[in-house]
Amino acid sequence: MSDLVITAGDLPIRALNRAIRDALAAGDPVTVRDTRSRHNLGIGLPVGARVSFEGSVGYYCGGLNDGAHIEIERNAGWGVGEAMAKGEIVVGGYAGMAAGASMRGGLIHVKGDAGPRCGVAMKGGDIIVEGRIGYLSGFMAHAGRLIALGGAAGACADSLWGGEVWTAGPIESLGVDTKVVEPEPDEVASVEALLAGRGLGDSSRAWRKIVSAEQLWHFESRDASAWLMI
Amino acid sequence: MCGIAGRILSTPGAVGADLVALMDAQVHRGADSTGFALYGAPLETGFVVRAMASDRAKLSADLDEFHAILKAHGSDFLAEPTWDDADSAHVSTRMVIAEPNSMAAWVRDADTMADRLEIQSVGRSLEIIKDLGGAAAVADKHGVRDFHGSHGLGHARLATESSVSPTASHPFWARPFADVAIVHNGQITNYFTWRERLERAGYRFMTENDSELIAVWISDRMSRGMNQAQALRQSIDEIDGVFTFLIADRESIGFAKDRWAIKPLVSVELDGELAAATEEQAVRTVYRDEVDVINYDGPGMTMTWPTGVDRAAA
Repeated sequence: MSDLVITAGDLPIRALNRAIRDALAAGDPVTVRDTRSRHNLGIGLPVGARVSFEGSVGYYCGGLNDGAHIEIERNAGWGVGEAMAKGEIVVGGYAGMAAGASMRGGLIHVKGDAGPRCGVAMKGGDIIVEGRIGYLSGFMAHAGRLIALGGAAGACADSLWGGEVWTAGPIESLGVDTKVVEPEPDEVASVEALLAGRGLGDSSRAWRKIVSAEQLWHFESRDASAWLMI
Repeated sequence: MCGIAGRILSTPGAVGADLVALMDAQVHRGADSTGFALYGAPLETGFVVRAMASDRAKLSADLDEFHAILKAHGSDFLAEPTWDDADSAHVSTRMVIAEPNSMAAWVRDADTMADRLEIQSVGRSLEIIKDLGGAAAVADKHGVRDFHGSHGLGHARLATESSVSPTASHPFWARPFADVAIVHNGQITNYFTWRERLERAGYRFMTENDSELIAVWISDRMSRGMNQAQALRQSIDEIDGVFTFLIADRESIGFAKDRWAIKPLVSVELDGELAAATEEQAVRTVYRDEVDVINYDGPGMTMTWPTGVDRAAA
């Protein structure tokens, strides 16, 4: 296995992402250094590629991921893994706003906290956040699991359409049209198995599973005032 | 979408160059216009005035009229005014003036000629420099990189709510409060409500830009006894919209962010220094080594950072 290194620096982003793909053609994993929190790193990586980014990355890292394994040493900016379909993204530190927005599949694993709107509009896949998920996380999600070991900030799972938000920590407040339900044993086993596979096994967690209360599925404009947050 | 930045140095230095770097890294967020609020070595008495004339050919006559208004308010030029020598029709001028009898009364009279020569900042140390174009172009035209000072703000504008012109650019001075400037990323939705209230209280606005309003709003609260931190907290409850703004005076830079947590701000706070910006990649131009970056991502956040001026006095 080769160990290829690309220096991001001031390279134009298209040239940089092409250089990463060219390096991957020769082998992997590929390491990208001097990342300078730049945007759009690791977009359009080939299926099965392994890429790690030193330091922190900017917006949309690993966006549209279709099966690559991406590691980010420290923090990610907005929209890490946006609209990804397959593969895996590991964020070593903090994931900025809207991590995993609109993702359809695959796994995002955040070792620190996540910012506001984590998992917004997600339509599949799993997001694991070892820390706390930010304000309005899970907003309008349709499917998939958002799992937060460290709890959730305000308006958690607001306007959830489908999917599940799991938390083993305190929830500052729930968003509208949500309900907390008792998870089935096989569901807990599935979540714990996913976590154990990441080295996060712990059978003592007190889980709360948040799902849609399904009232907004049949929205009537005459009821609008009941949903206003202002 | 706009980009904003703030910078505090632990000792006075090349704050202009740092702010140009912070804004150049965010030029993709808007290059309709770019501006800087720079705090240099403070005058002991008198003010630095930055003003923009709309017609270079008539600058001399306009300055004479401006001078006459100054003298009617017990002030005078303390040095000959200077201006840029670019070939644009509009021209930026810099004056040093003696203290007028009443700042508010003088500014009100001087504003009668604002369609030809508009005051853009007044302060012991504040100088607002702004123009059309991206950070590098504005910096080259006005020598921003050579500015030596303690702290300042920067702004890259993508106009959404009002016109693109040299005078509608950010930063905005909190007319008529000396040394107060603002940069803002966002939209204020109860702008007209607040503008009417503030105009009834006697304030005047040069533009229809909501950011100009916030600067005056905060300064008005502070003039009635609040400190900056209190005024910033209250702005979140009373100003509607999505916004992150940075407001500066001689003693501090503060920020407030709306209750919906839409507009970003990140910072590096290290060894008595501050670099704050909309995007993390901007602060990385000032701090190349791996440093801890703070993400102010939550809803309804505020912060006040003291400048070196305050620390020296403490």
